[in-house]
Amino acid sequence: MHLYAWLAIILPFIGVPAIYVASFVNGRLRNLAAIAFPIMAALCCLRLLPLLLHPGQLPLQSSWVWVTHPFILEIGILLDPLSLILILVVSVISAIIAIYCLGYMEGDPGINRFLMLVNLFIGSMLLLVLANNLLLLFVGWKLVGLCSYALIGFYYKDERKYWIGGPEAEAPLTTPSFCGLKALVVTGVGDLIMLGGILIIFFYAHTLNLMELYKTAPVWFPELAQNPNMVVLVTFMLLAGPIGKSAQFPLHEWLPEAMAGPGPVSALIHAATMVKSGVYLVARLMPIFYIGRWVADCHNAELFFTITAWVGAITAFIAATQGMVAKELKKILAFSTVSQIGYMWIGLGVAGLTQSTLVAGTTAGIFHLISHAIFKACLFLCAGSVIHAAHSIYIQDMGGMRRYMPYTWLFMMIAAICLMGVPPLPAFWSKDAILLVNLKAHNLPIFVIAMITVALTAFYTTRMMMMVFYGSESSHLRHLKEESQTPHEALPIMWSTCGLLALLLLALGAGGPWVEHLLHHNFDLNLAGTLKLPLKEAGEHAVNYHLLVTCLSVGSILAGTIPAGIIYRKHERAIKLQSHSVFKELHIFFWRRWFIDAFYNRVFIDGTLKLADIVAFKIENNFDLLIHRRLPVLVTEKLPRLFLRLKTETDNFLYIGAYLMGIILLTIGLAMWP
Amino acid sequence: MLEHILLQTIIIPAICAPAIILGRRVFGKQSAWIARLGLLYSTMLLIVATFKLTLGGAPIVEQHHFAGPAITLNLLGDGLSLPIALIVNLLCSALAFHSDRYIEHRIAAIYGEIDKKTAVNHYIRFYALFLLFPTGFMGVCFASNLIGIYFFLEILPIPLFFIMAMFGYIDRVRVAMISLMWAVFGAGFFLVGAIIVYYKTGSFAIASIAQMAGTPAAFWTIVMFLVTILAKMAVVPFQVWMPWVDAEYPTSITGLLAVYANIAVYIMLRVLIIPLTADFQVFSLPLMIMALITMVYGALLTLGQTDIKRFAACSTISQLAYSLLGVCSLTIAGIDGGLFFFLGHVMGKTIIFSSAAIIVYTTGIRDMRQLGGLAAKMPLTTALWIIGAMGLAGFPPMNSFPAEWVMFTGIFKAGLMGSAAKLIIAVAGAAAITFSVVYCFRSVKIIFFGPLNEQFADNDQIKDPPLSMSLPLLAIAATAIALGLYPGIVLDLFHKVVSTIPF
Repeated sequence: MHLYAWLAIILPFIGVPAIYVASFVNGRLRNLAAIAFPIMAALCCLRLLPLLLHPGQLPLQSSWVWVTHPFILEIGILLDPLSLILILVVSVISAIIAIYCLGYMEGDPGINRFLMLVNLFIGSMLLLVLANNLLLLFVGWKLVGLCSYALIGFYYKDERKYWIGGPEAEAPLTTPSFCGLKALVVTGVGDLIMLGGILIIFFYAHTLNLMELYKTAPVWFPELAQNPNMVVLVTFMLLAGPIGKSAQFPLHEWLPEAMAGPGPVSALIHAATMVKSGVYLVARLMPIFYIGRWVADCHNAELFFTITAWVGAITAFIAATQGMVAKELKKILAFSTVSQIGYMWIGLGVAGLTQSTLVAGTTAGIFHLISHAIFKACLFLCAGSVIHAAHSIYIQDMGGMRRYMPYTWLFMMIAAICLMGVPPLPAFWSKDAILLVNLKAHNLPIFVIAMITVALTAFYTTRMMMMVFYGSESSHLRHLKEESQTPHEALPIMWSTCGLLALLLLALGAGGPWVEHLLHHNFDLNLAGTLKLPLKEAGEHAVNYHLLVTCLSVGSILAGTIPAGIIYRKHERAIKLQSHSVFKELHIFFWRRWFIDAFYNRVFIDGTLKLADIVAFKIENNFDLLIHRRLPVLVTEKLPRLFLRLKTETDNFLYIGAYLMGIILLTIGLAMWP
Repeated sequence: MLEHILLQTIIIPAICAPAIILGRRVFGKQSAWIARLGLLYSTMLLIVATFKLTLGGAPIVEQHHFAGPAITLNLLGDGLSLPIALIVNLLCSALAFHSDRYIEHRIAAIYGEIDKKTAVNHYIRFYALFLLFPTGFMGVCFASNLIGIYFFLEILPIPLFFIMAMFGYIDRVRVAMISLMWAVFGAGFFLVGAIIVYYKTGSFAIASIAQMAGTPAAFWTIVMFLVTILAKMAVVPFQVWMPWVDAEYPTSITGLLAVYANIAVYIMLRVLIIPLTADFQVFSLPLMIMALITMVYGALLTLGQTDIKRFAACSTISQLAYSLLGVCSLTIAGIDGGLFFFLGHVMGKTIIFSSAAIIVYTTGIRDMRQLGGLAAKMPLTTALWIIGAMGLAGFPPMNSFPAEWVMFTGIFKAGLMGSAAKLIIAVAGAAAITFSVVYCFRSVKIIFFGPLNEQFADNDQIKDPPLSMSLPLLAIAATAIALGLYPGIVLDLFHKVVSTIPF
């Protein structure tokens, strides 16, 4: 079984040079290489699926020593329920996206580079997930960041057609190369702070191996907790990385601009790779802090879960409000990703707050990760096809697209309904599981925020679908038709992959309760059985929480969908509503992203550049002037002149005095020398 | 051939220098091949020596008498000196190949229309002077007494001065003087330190420095040597020379100036930390603070630059401080990692500087704001620059990634075992790496991304350089990646020596 896991990592990496070499032969062979390696990696991961059905064999490890001095570092893989679920999601969704890429990128001059980067991205993510220690995980983590930088900034020439952030009259535009750099830097800040947290853990635990960390945590965590501030410091540092990678508040601002890359890149980043790594790492670290809280009885360890849950709730809400007013199709989906990842964080955060919710919370968070991966991949791929057809990224340039793209409409509709959480699609099961676990943990404030966000999600999703596929055609589309560029359905290779994802959604929805049970069983066995974490049975409640959550959730969906349907059925109505004074202010506030991005730009970008200017042109220049201009003049011209004057004016008296003083000082110095 | 390996690596470049001057009458420009082949040979010797040591061989000790038994040159090839010497020699060899076209171009730019013979003379002069770098570096690496180190440290300003004065950029003679004065300033303090050691122990041998441990003289010796080391490493407030010297030096070999500065960290370890471990403890925190300040100051200085060469020069200030931070944490991991980071940095910086040389050679432009969009016309150069940037920013699979990891493990250990101030420095230091990511990848955006400068659009001359310029850099990149994938080759050797330090 180990072999398949190793192959799953290695194959996409081999794909990178293979694509390059094949490109010299012909395009067909290159395309074949581009999809063959991700598909083979996915097959290897699927071969490991039986382990999930019989989790008694887990965990499995395989490793070898990489560095022996000054301490031992190893390269190895860990197969446990968490990593198995993740690699299945990553590899299968990525393989589907890789196939879609062939159609989407056909004829692009940079296709070789693109396909190579996609393979590298997939391999890096699989490395991250399968790593059995925090060092190797960090290697994958950094590589994922680097790949996202290269893919977001794929259109590095910054041609105007690839700029995002408009419409031009309403907001400044941003270039792809800037967006790539922004993603790298914002996530990089979190990465490097996280590195510090990992090293502190290493100092206390003397290991980076995940299973060893879990097993020895009851010993080393109390040592760490001897200084309660250290637990707080480690919590913040370790969470900084996932917050950055998963685009959670306050490091969420890079993701909406990550859409500057080609459509499939957005699908990869949002659905299968980058942002999921943060959720994965939180789930990975949870047992450590759970032991800290419930075994070592360090109350500060609870902070890890509290921060996770609240960061998730705040982010889910903020991003959903921004999604309600976004005008770029992919940006709506980007805000949606930020918001939905927030739900996963809520689930994982709440999990550790009580001893009875650990398994349920973990199950809910990871289940939502799975459903989100599928519906978001489908949404992004469909959005790519729509943008391709409409020759615009703005939803007001669309409208009535259903008649031109019936397949794309159907598949996107299924995914959109799933995003809203409509039963019986998978997000209904997973989102409700998150809400339910909140209620069970009596975490009412977060429950209320999450429930409001359900309504907001339904609102922005309905708005998006109405403005893209329904209503009358926009003037932009009419103009296209006049120029004989009538929108048309995507290439079969593109819509068929979307169809495959939609089918997966339907299947997962149909088997939702069974999947949830399977995940629950696996996590229960792993957390309570293998890791021996102290769990408690949930007490009986007077109210049927299941029914309550379902009713409230469906009610919230309706509360969001109905107004959005009424407002956006006709564009004029929406415009009229936006111009109303109350909504106008609110609209501007959401549209300007709560002014968070502007604040960051002002403080961090402008501030740093200003500081750099001060250092370079004021401090350093003056320093240089002093050392390299004034000092030589002083030494070569002014001092000799002064001495000359002293010499003539005092008849060598001062000179003699100085010599004598020098001799005396030297004598004293030598005498005192031991 | 394998007799006196260490001496050969020092002497061969020194012999090649007059040989190519003499050979120019017969071979013309081609006599520069003597330099290249000589360097390849000495690199090969070092590979053999390092390989033997890796397999468990004993450190190489050589004693060479000059003018009787009184004057000897003692050399030591151990786990510290051999890998450093090997990488440095590799860089020298690569740059000897890389500089060919560039220096022709530079001669034409400075001296204009000159006859062929004069041009050849200039060309040969460059290579003859260039060879003094490997001589000096090898000497500093292997010398096991203070006078030896002082002697070879004093050799290095010679090529620094003359190459700058003859082949540098604007204001080159003045900058050559600046470089010389700073070298003399540093060397003066080193000499005073060496004399104190001799006065107290009766020997210049590095091994005898340990006899001073615990005495007040040890404190002053450390202070004297530290002034030299900090000035060489351009640590704030001694940084002011580096932007000038690195920026105005012929770009194709400016990477060696990163070695010139960074090798001071090796001297610090060899001369101060190993023999005077306990006495050095008191300097640990102040030096770590200075390193942190330099990291941030250098990074901000880099961000403020628009000149491609000054950009690389200022980033060196920031990057050198990482090694200092690691080594001054006084932990085994910090020192192992700090030294390894030194190698990662000089390799990355050589690639960056030499890629800058390619850009200046091709476009004739140094102002980064006038560049832009070059990736479309120079994809290989772009790839090289990005590889260099990855090296400086510590991304896998470059060797600076494991170096950074090991180094910060040591720095955090120092913080967790020592004062709260050291822990704050450790956290701030890790966060400060973000600056490296920012300035490295921002430079990629400014120089290579975005729309192509209009004046380049129809210019067929704007293209990747000939292989003679890019292949040596690819070889450096491949070595850096190989060491990143298998860092144990170097770390194990370092550890053999570093683990003996009694912390």
